[in-house]
Amino acid sequence: MRAIVAVLMIVAAAAGPRLQAQVEYNARLGVTWATPLIRDDIVEEVELRQKLAPTLSLGASLPIAPRYRAGLEVMLTSSGYRASETATSTDLGTLRTGSVTLGLHGPIAANFGWRAGAGLLGYWPKDERGIFLRGGTTRFLAGAGVDFRRPVWSHWEMMVSLGYDFHRFTTGELQGRGFSQSQGVQRISAAVGLAKGSR
Amino acid sequence: MRNRQRLLGLVTGSVLVACADIAAPSRGDAYEWRRLQGTSSGVDTLSFHWAGADLPVRFWAEDSLNLPAHVQGGIGRWEAVFLYGEFSGVVVSDSSTADVIVTTGIAPKGGFSIARLESGFAPECQGATDIELSSNGQQILRPIRVYVDPRFAPGSPGVDDCMALTTTHELGHALGIFTHSPDPEDIMYADPAVSALSRRDRSTAELAYHTEPTLTIAPR
Repeated sequence: MRAIVAVLMIVAAAAGPRLQAQVEYNARLGVTWATPLIRDDIVEEVELRQKLAPTLSLGASLPIAPRYRAGLEVMLTSSGYRASETATSTDLGTLRTGSVTLGLHGPIAANFGWRAGAGLLGYWPKDERGIFLRGGTTRFLAGAGVDFRRPVWSHWEMMVSLGYDFHRFTTGELQGRGFSQSQGVQRISAAVGLAKGSR
Repeated sequence: MRNRQRLLGLVTGSVLVACADIAAPSRGDAYEWRRLQGTSSGVDTLSFHWAGADLPVRFWAEDSLNLPAHVQGGIGRWEAVFLYGEFSGVVVSDSSTADVIVTTGIAPKGGFSIARLESGFAPECQGATDIELSSNGQQILRPIRVYVDPRFAPGSPGVDDCMALTTTHELGHALGIFTHSPDPEDIMYADPAVSALSRRDRSTAELAYHTEPTLTIAPR
Protein backbone atom coordinates (compact mmCIF):
# COMPACT_ATOMS: atom_id res chain seq x y z
CA MET A 1 0.00 0.00 0.00
CA ARG A 2 2.75 2.45 0.95
CA ALA A 3 4.55 1.61 -2.27
CA ILE A 4 1.48 2.47 -4.35
CA VAL A 5 1.02 5.81 -2.62
CA ALA A 6 4.73 6.57 -2.98
CA VAL A 7 4.66 5.83 -6.73
CA LEU A 8 1.65 8.12 -7.22
CA MET A 9 3.31 10.94 -5.30
CA ILE A 10 6.55 10.58 -7.27
CA VAL A 11 4.69 10.59 -10.61
CA ALA A 12 2.69 13.67 -9.63
CA ALA A 13 5.80 15.49 -8.45
CA ALA A 14 7.77 14.54 -11.55
CA ALA A 15 5.14 15.82 -13.96
CA GLY A 16 5.89 19.34 -15.11
CA PRO A 17 3.36 22.20 -14.80
CA ARG A 18 2.24 21.83 -18.43
CA LEU A 19 1.68 18.14 -18.03
CA GLN A 20 -0.09 18.68 -14.76
CA ALA A 21 -2.52 21.03 -16.49
CA GLN A 22 -3.67 18.17 -18.71
CA VAL A 23 -4.00 15.62 -15.95
CA GLU A 24 -7.47 14.65 -14.98
CA TYR A 25 -8.11 13.30 -11.51
CA ASN A 26 -11.07 11.40 -10.19
CA ALA A 27 -12.19 9.90 -6.91
CA ARG A 28 -15.09 7.52 -6.49
CA LEU A 29 -16.83 5.63 -3.73
CA GLY A 30 -18.83 2.48 -4.30
CA VAL A 31 -19.11 -1.22 -3.72
CA THR A 32 -17.51 -4.30 -5.20
CA TRP A 33 -19.02 -7.75 -5.54
CA ALA A 34 -16.81 -10.75 -6.21
CA THR A 35 -17.24 -14.38 -7.17
CA PRO A 36 -15.79 -17.02 -4.76
CA LEU A 37 -12.08 -17.06 -4.02
CA ILE A 38 -12.15 -20.82 -3.54
CA ARG A 39 -14.42 -23.73 -4.15
CA ASP A 40 -13.17 -26.70 -2.15
CA ASP A 41 -14.65 -30.13 -1.64
CA ILE A 42 -14.39 -31.62 1.85
CA VAL A 43 -17.27 -34.09 2.16
CA GLU A 44 -19.39 -31.37 0.57
CA GLU A 45 -18.63 -28.15 -1.26
CA VAL A 46 -17.07 -25.34 0.74
CA GLU A 47 -17.09 -21.89 -0.78
CA LEU A 48 -15.02 -18.98 0.44
CA ARG A 49 -15.90 -15.50 -0.72
CA GLN A 50 -15.64 -11.84 0.12
CA LYS A 51 -18.68 -9.98 1.24
CA LEU A 52 -19.89 -6.92 -0.65
CA ALA A 53 -16.99 -4.53 -0.17
CA PRO A 54 -17.01 -0.75 0.24
CA THR A 55 -14.64 0.58 -2.41
CA LEU A 56 -12.55 3.68 -2.91
CA SER A 57 -11.14 4.35 -6.37
CA LEU A 58 -8.63 7.04 -7.24
CA GLY A 59 -7.58 7.70 -10.79
CA ALA A 60 -5.50 10.01 -12.93
CA SER A 61 -5.20 10.18 -16.70
CA LEU A 62 -3.32 12.03 -19.41
CA PRO A 63 -4.22 12.59 -23.07
CA ILE A 64 -2.16 10.48 -25.46
CA ALA A 65 -4.19 11.04 -28.64
CA PRO A 66 -7.10 13.31 -29.60
CA ARG A 67 -9.71 10.87 -28.32
CA TYR A 68 -7.74 8.71 -25.94
CA ARG A 69 -6.14 9.01 -22.55
CA ALA A 70 -3.79 6.80 -20.59
CA GLY A 71 -4.78 6.30 -16.99
CA LEU A 72 -3.58 4.98 -13.70
CA GLU A 73 -6.18 3.77 -11.23
CA VAL A 74 -5.90 2.63 -7.65
CA MET A 75 -8.82 0.73 -6.17
CA LEU A 76 -9.07 -0.18 -2.50
CA THR A 77 -11.66 -2.47 -0.90
CA SER A 78 -12.21 -3.69 2.63
CA SER A 79 -14.76 -6.24 3.72
CA GLY A 80 -15.33 -9.40 5.65
CA TYR A 81 -14.92 -12.78 4.06
CA ARG A 82 -16.54 -16.03 4.97
CA ALA A 83 -16.64 -19.75 4.30
CA SER A 84 -19.98 -21.37 3.60
CA GLU A 85 -21.24 -24.88 3.14
CA THR A 86 -24.75 -26.26 3.14
CA ALA A 87 -25.64 -25.71 6.77
CA THR A 88 -23.01 -23.38 8.13
CA SER A 89 -21.31 -20.11 7.41
CA THR A 90 -18.17 -18.96 9.21
CA ASP A 91 -16.89 -15.39 9.30
CA LEU A 92 -13.15 -15.38 8.81
CA GLY A 93 -12.28 -11.78 9.52
CA THR A 94 -11.40 -8.79 7.39
CA LEU A 95 -9.82 -8.86 3.97
CA ARG A 96 -8.47 -5.79 2.24
CA THR A 97 -7.52 -5.56 -1.39
CA GLY A 98 -5.72 -2.94 -3.39
CA SER A 99 -5.17 -2.82 -7.11
CA VAL A 100 -3.13 -0.64 -9.42
CA THR A 101 -4.21 -0.62 -13.04
CA LEU A 102 -2.67 1.04 -16.06
CA GLY A 103 -5.08 1.48 -18.92
CA LEU A 104 -6.61 3.34 -21.80
CA HIS A 105 -9.72 5.53 -21.73
CA GLY A 106 -11.81 6.49 -24.72
CA PRO A 107 -15.23 7.83 -25.65
CA ILE A 108 -18.29 5.78 -26.51
CA ALA A 109 -20.99 8.34 -27.12
CA ALA A 110 -22.32 11.50 -25.53
CA ASN A 111 -21.42 11.36 -21.86
CA PHE A 112 -20.27 7.74 -21.87
CA GLY A 113 -16.72 6.52 -22.03
CA TRP A 114 -14.88 3.24 -21.80
CA ARG A 115 -11.73 2.19 -20.04
CA ALA A 116 -9.68 -0.97 -20.09
CA GLY A 117 -6.45 -1.92 -18.42
CA ALA A 118 -4.28 -4.38 -16.61
CA GLY A 119 -2.31 -4.32 -13.41
CA LEU A 120 -1.73 -5.92 -10.06
CA LEU A 121 -4.08 -6.80 -7.25
CA GLY A 122 -2.94 -7.42 -3.68
CA TYR A 123 -4.81 -9.21 -0.90
CA TRP A 124 -4.05 -8.13 2.65
CA PRO A 125 -5.85 -10.19 5.30
CA LYS A 126 -6.12 -8.66 8.75
CA ASP A 127 -5.16 -11.98 10.33
CA GLU A 128 -2.73 -14.41 8.77
CA ARG A 129 -4.57 -17.68 9.16
CA GLY A 130 -6.48 -20.22 7.11
CA ILE A 131 -5.83 -19.73 3.40
CA PHE A 132 -3.70 -16.70 4.30
CA LEU A 133 -1.57 -18.51 6.89
CA ARG A 134 1.53 -17.68 4.84
CA GLY A 135 0.40 -14.12 4.23
CA GLY A 136 -1.41 -12.25 1.50
CA THR A 137 -0.93 -12.60 -2.21
CA THR A 138 -0.47 -10.46 -5.32
CA ARG A 139 -2.09 -11.39 -8.62
CA PHE A 140 -2.25 -10.05 -12.16
CA LEU A 141 -5.49 -8.32 -13.00
CA ALA A 142 -7.28 -7.28 -16.17
CA GLY A 143 -10.40 -5.21 -16.31
CA ALA A 144 -12.67 -2.88 -18.19
CA GLY A 145 -15.43 -0.45 -17.38
CA VAL A 146 -17.89 2.14 -18.51
CA ASP A 147 -18.07 5.68 -17.10
CA PHE A 148 -20.88 8.17 -17.30
CA ARG A 149 -19.91 11.80 -16.78
CA ARG A 150 -21.97 14.90 -16.37
CA PRO A 151 -20.59 18.39 -15.77
CA VAL A 152 -21.63 19.81 -12.44
CA TRP A 153 -19.57 23.02 -12.36
CA SER A 154 -16.45 24.45 -13.88
CA HIS A 155 -13.84 21.71 -14.42
CA TRP A 156 -15.81 19.32 -12.23
CA GLU A 157 -17.83 16.36 -13.43
CA MET A 158 -19.98 13.88 -11.63
CA MET A 159 -18.87 10.40 -12.53
CA VAL A 160 -20.77 7.12 -12.34
CA SER A 161 -18.74 4.01 -13.08
CA LEU A 162 -19.38 0.36 -13.65
CA GLY A 163 -16.33 -1.86 -13.67
CA TYR A 164 -15.46 -5.46 -14.27
CA ASP A 165 -12.15 -7.14 -13.58
CA PHE A 166 -10.76 -10.61 -13.56
CA HIS A 167 -7.85 -12.38 -11.91
CA ARG A 168 -6.81 -15.85 -10.90
CA PHE A 169 -6.56 -16.38 -7.16
CA THR A 170 -4.34 -18.58 -5.06
CA THR A 171 -2.13 -18.14 -1.99
CA GLY A 172 1.14 -19.54 -0.74
CA GLU A 173 -0.72 -21.64 1.81
CA LEU A 174 -3.01 -23.16 -0.82
CA GLN A 175 -0.08 -23.96 -3.09
CA GLY A 176 1.82 -25.43 -0.15
CA ARG A 177 -1.08 -27.76 0.54
CA GLY A 178 -1.18 -29.03 -3.00
CA PHE A 179 -4.02 -26.99 -4.46
CA SER A 180 -3.31 -26.93 -8.15
CA GLN A 181 -4.21 -24.27 -10.70
CA SER A 182 -5.96 -21.22 -9.33
CA GLN A 183 -9.47 -19.90 -9.00
CA GLY A 184 -10.86 -17.50 -11.57
CA VAL A 185 -12.30 -14.56 -9.66
CA GLN A 186 -14.48 -11.94 -11.28
CA ARG A 187 -15.35 -8.66 -9.63
CA ILE A 188 -17.99 -6.13 -10.50
CA SER A 189 -17.89 -2.67 -9.02
CA ALA A 190 -20.21 0.28 -9.09
CA ALA A 191 -19.11 3.69 -7.91
CA VAL A 192 -20.06 7.36 -7.89
CA GLY A 193 -17.65 10.23 -7.60
CA LEU A 194 -16.16 13.38 -8.99
CA ALA A 195 -13.63 14.06 -11.70
CA LYS A 196 -11.60 17.23 -12.03
CA GLY A 197 -9.53 18.02 -15.04
CA SER A 198 -8.91 19.62 -18.36
CA ARG A 199 -11.96 18.53 -20.32
CA MET B 1 -11.39 -17.37 -42.41
CA ARG B 2 -8.42 -19.08 -40.82
CA ASN B 3 -7.69 -16.00 -38.74
CA ARG B 4 -11.29 -15.95 -37.56
CA GLN B 5 -11.03 -19.61 -36.47
CA ARG B 6 -7.80 -18.88 -34.63
CA LEU B 7 -9.38 -15.92 -32.89
CA LEU B 8 -12.42 -18.03 -31.96
CA GLY B 9 -10.11 -20.75 -30.63
CA LEU B 10 -8.14 -18.21 -28.63
CA VAL B 11 -11.30 -16.70 -27.14
CA THR B 12 -12.74 -20.14 -26.33
CA GLY B 13 -9.46 -21.23 -24.72
CA SER B 14 -9.25 -18.04 -22.70
CA VAL B 15 -12.81 -18.43 -21.45
CA LEU B 16 -12.15 -22.06 -20.44
CA VAL B 17 -8.97 -21.11 -18.59
CA ALA B 18 -10.71 -18.15 -16.97
CA CYS B 19 -13.62 -20.23 -15.75
CA ALA B 20 -11.58 -23.17 -14.40
CA ASP B 21 -11.77 -23.64 -10.65
CA ILE B 22 -8.90 -24.23 -8.32
CA ALA B 23 -8.29 -27.96 -7.83
CA ALA B 24 -8.28 -29.07 -4.19
CA PRO B 25 -5.92 -31.83 -3.09
CA SER B 26 -7.32 -35.24 -2.23
CA ARG B 27 -8.00 -35.93 1.44
CA GLY B 28 -8.06 -39.66 0.73
CA ASP B 29 -5.06 -40.26 2.99
CA ALA B 30 -7.06 -39.58 6.15
CA TYR B 31 -7.17 -42.30 8.80
CA GLU B 32 -10.22 -43.38 10.82
CA TRP B 33 -10.92 -40.82 13.55
CA ARG B 34 -14.22 -42.13 14.88
CA ARG B 35 -14.33 -44.39 17.90
CA LEU B 36 -16.18 -47.65 17.39
CA GLN B 37 -17.57 -48.75 20.73
CA GLY B 38 -19.13 -52.12 21.42
CA THR B 39 -22.63 -52.10 22.87
CA SER B 40 -25.11 -54.81 23.80
CA SER B 41 -26.81 -54.37 20.43
CA GLY B 42 -23.71 -54.09 18.28
CA VAL B 43 -21.27 -51.30 17.55
CA ASP B 44 -21.78 -47.62 18.20
CA THR B 45 -19.81 -45.01 16.26
CA LEU B 46 -18.73 -42.03 18.31
CA SER B 47 -17.65 -38.91 16.49
CA PHE B 48 -17.41 -35.31 17.53
CA HIS B 49 -16.17 -31.93 16.54
CA TRP B 50 -16.52 -28.54 18.11
CA ALA B 51 -19.30 -26.56 16.48
CA GLY B 52 -18.81 -22.99 15.30
CA ALA B 53 -21.00 -21.71 18.14
CA ASP B 54 -18.61 -23.24 20.70
CA LEU B 55 -15.54 -21.50 19.31
CA PRO B 56 -13.09 -20.49 20.49
CA VAL B 57 -12.69 -23.60 22.63
CA ARG B 58 -11.40 -22.59 26.06
CA PHE B 59 -8.40 -24.47 27.37
CA TRP B 60 -7.05 -24.23 30.87
CA ALA B 61 -3.55 -25.48 31.58
CA GLU B 62 -1.97 -26.20 34.93
CA ASP B 63 0.91 -23.82 35.54
CA SER B 64 3.50 -26.53 35.77
CA LEU B 65 6.17 -28.13 33.61
CA ASN B 66 5.76 -25.47 30.93
CA LEU B 67 2.27 -26.80 30.25
CA PRO B 68 0.62 -23.44 29.36
CA ALA B 69 3.19 -22.94 26.60
CA HIS B 70 2.75 -26.50 25.35
CA VAL B 71 -1.02 -26.05 25.27
CA GLN B 72 -0.71 -22.74 23.45
CA GLY B 73 1.64 -24.38 20.95
CA GLY B 74 -0.72 -27.31 20.49
CA ILE B 75 -3.69 -25.01 19.87
CA GLY B 76 -1.65 -23.12 17.28
CA ARG B 77 -0.64 -26.33 15.49
CA TRP B 78 -4.23 -27.53 15.27
CA GLU B 79 -5.60 -24.13 14.25
CA ALA B 80 -3.10 -24.07 11.39
CA VAL B 81 -4.63 -27.25 10.01
CA PHE B 82 -7.88 -25.60 9.06
CA LEU B 83 -8.47 -23.36 6.04
CA TYR B 84 -12.00 -22.23 6.78
CA GLY B 85 -12.09 -21.30 10.48
CA GLU B 86 -13.39 -24.69 11.59
CA PHE B 87 -11.51 -24.58 14.89
CA SER B 88 -9.98 -21.99 17.19
CA GLY B 89 -8.91 -22.14 20.80
CA VAL B 90 -7.78 -19.86 23.61
CA VAL B 91 -6.04 -20.45 26.91
CA VAL B 92 -8.12 -19.14 29.81
CA SER B 93 -7.01 -18.39 33.35
CA ASP B 94 -10.13 -19.64 35.13
CA SER B 95 -10.52 -23.42 35.05
CA SER B 96 -14.20 -23.14 35.96
CA THR B 97 -14.92 -21.63 32.53
CA ALA B 98 -12.78 -24.08 30.58
CA ASP B 99 -14.01 -26.55 27.97
CA VAL B 100 -10.79 -28.54 28.19
CA ILE B 101 -8.61 -28.84 31.29
CA VAL B 102 -5.02 -29.91 30.84
CA THR B 103 -3.07 -31.03 33.89
CA THR B 104 0.06 -32.92 34.70
CA GLY B 105 -0.19 -36.27 36.37
CA ILE B 106 -1.43 -39.71 35.52
CA ALA B 107 -5.08 -40.06 34.57
CA PRO B 108 -7.17 -41.46 37.44
CA LYS B 109 -8.41 -44.97 36.83
CA GLY B 110 -12.11 -45.65 36.66
CA GLY B 111 -14.70 -43.87 38.73
CA PHE B 112 -16.78 -42.24 36.06
CA SER B 113 -18.43 -42.96 32.77
CA ILE B 114 -15.63 -42.17 30.44
CA ALA B 115 -14.37 -42.92 27.02
CA ARG B 116 -10.67 -43.04 27.78
CA LEU B 117 -8.59 -42.12 24.80
CA GLU B 118 -5.22 -43.29 25.95
CA SER B 119 -2.21 -41.85 24.34
CA GLY B 120 0.87 -43.69 23.58
CA PHE B 121 3.91 -44.00 25.63
CA ALA B 122 6.70 -41.98 24.20
CA PRO B 123 9.72 -42.91 26.31
CA GLU B 124 9.92 -39.71 28.32
CA CYS B 125 6.27 -38.97 29.02
CA GLN B 126 2.71 -40.18 28.68
CA GLY B 127 -0.72 -38.75 28.21
CA ALA B 128 -4.41 -39.53 28.27
CA THR B 129 -7.67 -37.81 27.43
CA ASP B 130 -10.88 -38.50 29.30
CA ILE B 131 -14.22 -37.70 27.76
CA GLU B 132 -17.23 -38.10 29.97
CA LEU B 133 -20.51 -38.84 28.26
CA SER B 134 -24.01 -37.94 29.45
CA SER B 135 -26.22 -40.74 30.74
CA ASN B 136 -27.93 -41.13 27.36
CA GLY B 137 -24.56 -41.27 25.62
CA GLN B 138 -25.46 -38.44 23.23
CA GLN B 139 -23.49 -35.58 24.71
CA ILE B 140 -19.99 -34.89 25.94
CA LEU B 141 -19.89 -33.28 29.34
CA ARG B 142 -17.58 -30.37 29.96
CA PRO B 143 -14.76 -30.24 30.68
CA ILE B 144 -12.80 -32.71 28.64
CA ARG B 145 -9.80 -33.66 30.76
CA VAL B 146 -6.32 -34.09 29.36
CA TYR B 147 -3.43 -35.51 31.38
CA VAL B 148 0.21 -35.21 30.41
CA ASP B 149 2.88 -36.60 32.67
CA PRO B 150 6.66 -36.94 32.50
CA ARG B 151 8.12 -40.35 33.14
CA PHE B 152 11.40 -38.90 34.39
CA ALA B 153 12.48 -35.83 36.32
CA PRO B 154 11.17 -32.77 34.45
CA GLY B 155 14.64 -31.46 33.61
CA SER B 156 15.77 -34.71 32.03
CA PRO B 157 16.78 -34.64 28.35
CA GLY B 158 13.88 -35.00 25.98
CA VAL B 159 11.15 -34.54 28.59
CA ASP B 160 10.12 -31.03 27.53
CA ASP B 161 9.98 -31.98 23.84
CA CYS B 162 7.98 -35.08 24.72
CA MET B 163 5.56 -33.02 26.81
CA ALA B 164 5.06 -30.67 23.86
CA LEU B 165 4.29 -33.35 21.29
CA THR B 166 2.20 -35.40 23.71
CA THR B 167 0.16 -32.30 24.59
CA THR B 168 -0.47 -31.68 20.87
CA HIS B 169 -1.43 -35.34 20.48
CA GLU B 170 -3.88 -35.20 23.40
CA LEU B 171 -5.39 -31.94 22.16
CA GLY B 172 -6.03 -33.80 18.90
CA HIS B 173 -8.22 -36.19 20.88
CA ALA B 174 -9.97 -33.24 22.56
CA LEU B 175 -10.66 -31.80 19.11
CA GLY B 176 -12.45 -34.98 18.07
CA ILE B 177 -9.84 -37.35 16.67
CA PHE B 178 -10.86 -40.24 18.90
CA THR B 179 -8.54 -42.90 17.52
CA HIS B 180 -4.88 -43.32 16.71
CA SER B 181 -3.20 -43.21 13.35
CA PRO B 182 -1.51 -46.39 12.17
CA ASP B 183 1.41 -44.37 10.78
CA PRO B 184 4.39 -43.42 13.00
CA GLU B 185 4.89 -40.24 10.94
CA ASP B 186 1.63 -38.82 12.31
CA ILE B 187 1.22 -36.87 15.54
CA MET B 188 -1.84 -39.01 16.27
CA TYR B 189 0.14 -42.24 16.16
CA ALA B 190 -0.30 -44.15 19.43
CA ASP B 191 3.35 -43.67 20.28
CA PRO B 192 3.95 -40.23 18.79
CA ALA B 193 7.51 -39.32 17.92
CA VAL B 194 7.05 -36.40 15.51
CA SER B 195 6.42 -32.85 16.67
CA ALA B 196 4.67 -31.55 13.55
CA LEU B 197 1.31 -32.53 12.16
CA SER B 198 1.51 -34.57 9.00
CA ARG B 199 -0.54 -34.24 5.85
CA ARG B 200 -2.57 -37.25 7.03
CA ASP B 201 -3.25 -35.59 10.40
CA ARG B 202 -4.42 -32.53 8.49
CA SER B 203 -6.67 -34.47 6.11
CA THR B 204 -8.17 -36.40 9.03
CA ALA B 205 -8.94 -33.27 11.04
CA GLU B 206 -10.46 -31.58 8.00
CA LEU B 207 -12.71 -34.57 7.31
CA ALA B 208 -13.69 -34.81 10.99
CA TYR B 209 -14.78 -31.17 10.97
CA HIS B 210 -16.85 -31.53 7.81
CA THR B 211 -18.63 -34.73 8.83
CA GLU B 212 -21.83 -34.67 10.87
CA PRO B 213 -20.87 -35.75 14.41
CA THR B 214 -22.81 -38.28 16.46
CA LEU B 215 -22.00 -36.49 19.72
CA THR B 216 -22.54 -32.88 20.71
CA ILE B 217 -21.09 -30.95 23.62
CA ALA B 218 -23.44 -30.40 26.56
CA PRO B 219 -24.51 -26.79 27.14
CA ARG B 220 -22.57 -24.85 29.73
